[in-house]
Amino acid sequence: MNNSNFSRYAPKSSIDIGVFLCKCGGNISDTVDIERLKTSIDAKVVKEFENLCSIKCQKNIRDIILEEELDRVVIAACSPITHEKTFRNQVAPLNPYLLEMANIREQCSWVHSDVDKTTDKAISLTNAAIERVKYARPLDTIVRKTKKSAAVIGGGISGITASLSLAKQGIKVHIIEEKPTVGGNMIKIGKIFSPEKLAEECALCLFNPLINEAVQHKNIDIITNAELKSSQRKAGNFNLLIERKPTFVKEDKCTACGNCAEVCPVEVPNEWNEKLMMRKAIYKPFPQSVPDVYTIDEENCIKCGKCQKVCTMNAIDLKMKGENIPLNVGSVVIATGYKGFDLKKRPEYGYGRYQDVISQMELARIMGVNGPTNGKLLRPSDGKIPRRVVMVQCAGSRDEKPGGNRYCSKVCCMVALKHANFIRRYYPDTEIIICYTDMRTPGMYENYFRHVQSREIKLIRGRPGDITKNDDNLIVRVEDTLRGEQVEIETDIVVLSEAMEPSEGTLSVAETLNVSLTEDLFIKEKHPKMKPVTTDVEGIYVCGTAQGPKDITDSVSQANAAASKVSEIINGGLEIEPTIAVVDHFKCEMCGDCVRSCKYKAIYMHDERISVDPIACNGCGMCISKCKNEAVEVMGQTDSQIFAMISGMLKDKKDGERRILVFVDYIGYVASDNIGINRISYPESIRIIKLPSINRLMPKHIIYAFENGADGIFLGEYPDDLIYPAIKEKVQEIRSELIKNSIDLDRLMYYKVYAPYFRGLASKLTEFDKQVSKALDKLEPVLYKASSKDL
Amino acid sequence: MNTFKIGENTFELAESIIKDLKASDNLGILKCIQCGMCTSTCPAARHTDYDPREIIKRVLDKDETLIKDDIIWNCFYCYTCHSICPVNNSACEVNQVLRQKTIDNGKGKSKIAPFSEYADSYLESGLGTIPSDFFSDLIKDYGNEWIELKANLEEIRKELSLGPMLLPKKDIEDINEILEKTGFTKRLERVRRCKDEKDTR
Amino acid sequence: MKKIPDKEILLFKSCLVNVEYPGVESSTKFVFDKLGIEYTISERQSCCTGLGHYADLFDQFSTTALAARNFGIAREEDHRNIATLCATCYAILKKSANILNTKDNVRRQVNKIFDGSGISDLKYKVEDIDSRDNIFHTTEIIYNKADKIPDLVEVDLSGFKVAAHHACHYCKVHHQDTIGNPRDPMVIETIAKACGVETVDWYDRKTNTCGNGFRQRYMNKDLSFSVTAEKLLSLKENEVDILLHMCPNCQIQFDRNQKVIGESLNTEFNIICLNISQFVALAFGADPYKVVGIQTHTVPVEPVVDKIKLINPVNEV
Repeated sequence: MNNSNFSRYAPKSSIDIGVFLCKCGGNISDTVDIERLKTSIDAKVVKEFENLCSIKCQKNIRDIILEEELDRVVIAACSPITHEKTFRNQVAPLNPYLLEMANIREQCSWVHSDVDKTTDKAISLTNAAIERVKYARPLDTIVRKTKKSAAVIGGGISGITASLSLAKQGIKVHIIEEKPTVGGNMIKIGKIFSPEKLAEECALCLFNPLINEAVQHKNIDIITNAELKSSQRKAGNFNLLIERKPTFVKEDKCTACGNCAEVCPVEVPNEWNEKLMMRKAIYKPFPQSVPDVYTIDEENCIKCGKCQKVCTMNAIDLKMKGENIPLNVGSVVIATGYKGFDLKKRPEYGYGRYQDVISQMELARIMGVNGPTNGKLLRPSDGKIPRRVVMVQCAGSRDEKPGGNRYCSKVCCMVALKHANFIRRYYPDTEIIICYTDMRTPGMYENYFRHVQSREIKLIRGRPGDITKNDDNLIVRVEDTLRGEQVEIETDIVVLSEAMEPSEGTLSVAETLNVSLTEDLFIKEKHPKMKPVTTDVEGIYVCGTAQGPKDITDSVSQANAAASKVSEIINGGLEIEPTIAVVDHFKCEMCGDCVRSCKYKAIYMHDERISVDPIACNGCGMCISKCKNEAVEVMGQTDSQIFAMISGMLKDKKDGERRILVFVDYIGYVASDNIGINRISYPESIRIIKLPSINRLMPKHIIYAFENGADGIFLGEYPDDLIYPAIKEKVQEIRSELIKNSIDLDRLMYYKVYAPYFRGLASKLTEFDKQVSKALDKLEPVLYKASSKDL
Repeated sequence: MNTFKIGENTFELAESIIKDLKASDNLGILKCIQCGMCTSTCPAARHTDYDPREIIKRVLDKDETLIKDDIIWNCFYCYTCHSICPVNNSACEVNQVLRQKTIDNGKGKSKIAPFSEYADSYLESGLGTIPSDFFSDLIKDYGNEWIELKANLEEIRKELSLGPMLLPKKDIEDINEILEKTGFTKRLERVRRCKDEKDTR
Repeated sequence: MKKIPDKEILLFKSCLVNVEYPGVESSTKFVFDKLGIEYTISERQSCCTGLGHYADLFDQFSTTALAARNFGIAREEDHRNIATLCATCYAILKKSANILNTKDNVRRQVNKIFDGSGISDLKYKVEDIDSRDNIFHTTEIIYNKADKIPDLVEVDLSGFKVAAHHACHYCKVHHQDTIGNPRDPMVIETIAKACGVETVDWYDRKTNTCGNGFRQRYMNKDLSFSVTAEKLLSLKENEVDILLHMCPNCQIQFDRNQKVIGESLNTEFNIICLNISQFVALAFGADPYKVVGIQTHTVPVEPVVDKIKLINPVNEV
């Protein structure tokens, strides 16, 4: 059955192969009998060289290819990891993918010492390369053309920073902001702290110039009152549909004179001032709003028409309709920010019950010069300057109970200190007490912490249980854990340091773009250390608090990093290795199994066709195993190439000789090379085959190997989070197939490989060789023969 | 001064509590960061030296003297700490396990002996009742009407058209057999013996 | 929110309701009947061990085995939805169901005991009873029908200011199954509002324990009363007339001890204690003595009854 499959891909009858052997200045030839190797090989040309990688020899190879009109080239030398690129560049005019390397150094001459056996193994490694190269097809590197434009979702500090960076790199940017103004949370917070200057600076003064720059930049287009409705991937680009809600005010006519708001009879709480003030139904969120126009809030407007009558510019159109804006962009940056924890989920703290229990953001607004009290610290209930302010840390953070968040919100300690410092400076008669569990002020922030401490703030280590009120005061009940004593703290104001949670926009954008979320519902990075701004969908990046709690400093760095990743794929003229999945559209029935199986989200359905994103695909071959119609192939790792490699490795096996095939991923291959580099030995039976992932293997390959004389199969792969569950499933699938074919399970092994732990791999290989030997001694006469008869 | 010796498993006590049948799944003893939220809401901590945070600290320090310490008997079992602990720890459940350990070590029998009559009534009728030893004290607080209620209970129940309180004989026998086999009857005998000792003293 | 049933309910009797406030059971039956809730009562059902369990007398295994027996009875009666009158029964049964469903060795041992005791028919099978889907408090069953209550109210109780004491063993032990936010439960208030009365939705110490503390009331009376007093004082400050309960243990604590605690503080509280089902029954026009059973209360409920007469003479009883 498998053979027929294999023969379908049989190569043309006459292929002229040239084999070039490298002695590597004795590194190979000291343990491999080059003369015997040379004569044991069946190829049109077999030539030996002292040092193949020298410039002179490389030139020689090219001459011979031309002279002998070779169709394919095999180089038996060092590891392909060392020099494959070098040799591929030297085989022109042959297609670089018509070259195959046999690793007779790191995985042969450096790990064995018996010349006879080492030579035998070198012969079989070279044979395998010859067999495999027969099935090689010319491949061209893929050049991805990405549109020179990006959509940045969210116009806060992260979105604006990323947009400016992109715009300055010549990329067209569309900022999509759901509110009537850009600015996000940062524009609300009034003061930001500077650990360097040990002082607070004006947030608006720092941010406003950036916003203005964005407004004026020719490459930036700001779309406010807008939401992402749908998204489609197409050939590495994105077709987005943006819905812009009607503002009922013509942007080009409005002069922001404010006459309309004066006559508007509807008053609603002003969100921008944390609902501490009222605004009209026609409003501008704050004086420095961008764009600088009024907006009618559809929800609250009663359409009385009063504003229309006073507007001398005729800017108001109560019949204005929303519009759908289609965008085609090369990349998307998610900068949808955070929202504050709903403090009513912790009713014991009395937020919403007692007017003077407020959030840090509310305190920020109260202390903002453009806020409800014009910057004066006044108690909401009676407008008096508070005698004491108690801050309660971790409200909704570090809390596993329902409604809470497990994580630390990272900024709250500094926010509390910032406000404490500010209050102590301008209201020296107001006491500050901070109830904390741990003060987290890493790095330079510790300097600021100590500075604030020196202004006389009281720290009580304990997490309050509840907050109540008597006739005059609020009362915070807490255990001072350092004294082991319960205390009741009387106070005028309580400020709860609310947790940072993913904004609603973050959740909805993630769903529309099919981007994964973390357990805590922030946008998930591809790798928390190595790929912090890359999402699991190629071409979509994330920055700022949409990705997790962080402060402005980190948001700005991340925004710049995201911009540079976008620029990398847009400006890089990216060349991609062609070893990716391709779909045969004649065989494909559009069942979507491959789309679901792909852990890299590289396969997607578009216009009733399955497409593969060449950047996202890493050629792991998972999709092949799932495709019922055999409609997918991975270039450079076709079934015929794998079968050929297996049969080549097992060719001319002698009686009593043991051969074990070791399939490993890239990491496993590096670890194997490291064994050689460190001259650690393992049995000659071991023959290593590199695959993109062992997910590429199917039971048919394994059975084929056993049928053709493999004594054992060893599978090694780095247990990457993303694909490890699939690997476990794969190994299980192979196991059941072995049971079905009555093959002793001891002849199969799966092992997790790690690049630095090559010694472990070497001893595992040695151990496995013994295990296989034992299994064969016991079971081969009975089981193995029975199974081959059945087949 | 306490010395932390190398090789000593200081988590022994915590581990044995986590494994106990009374402990909730994933009881967060090991995750405790001593934030004190439990103590700030604890009724016993407000009025006695008991401190739930301290109990957990001592468990984590493998302080075996806890088992002999009367402090653990101050907990109300109100589960307030249990319901608010940010790391899903529960001093309330820890106390329950500790008290069982005290009893198993033969130390706490006097603490539970006064309640043994509750078990007697359970074995007799399938219903627990407040032990009669407490009655005189209760009447003082509750007033004489309460005794009248006890006397007229059958009548009142009839007036309210309620069914019988007591279980059928066969079911009471089953319950006795179950409690015999779970080891409860033996435990009760041990407790009662303790009570007797106390009485004779 | 969890799904609350209105049929196939085993009304789980409570030892303290039986002997202290039998009117709670008769009121619950009255209210259930009015709300069209289908239930049964089994005379074979034993007490949950609650008081003994939390006085540390009963071990967890024995309590679990007795719960398994009661679960078997619920199954045999074809009334698998257990609704308890007492918060302790609620917590004990839920914990036992969790243990029986997840701890194979415990379930095996319990079943072995049942086999050896000739009650194999009551043996427990995994998921016979689900802690979340099958075990409820009777208050939850009534809460689920709150929208039907206004139509059934015959008596105007709106002159009273009421507050709720949600039992700790209802809202804190299995807090993830509590209706609403266990840190500020509103189950009782919602029902009371449906009866047309003003409720004090929050007061200081609202989620405090009643102070009974099982052993504490008997062995550590001063401690127990100090805690009860905190709550009584807060209720007094909020001018509460009626404190609504869902657990007989708490009701005893506030009703029977109220006078003596008041004396120690040189004050009088006069806060009437009613179980929420008694309160609903009164609102539905039930007989205060023959259904609601107010004759077993220590703080006289008569002021409520008298006021009923004044407000609504048509419903005179």
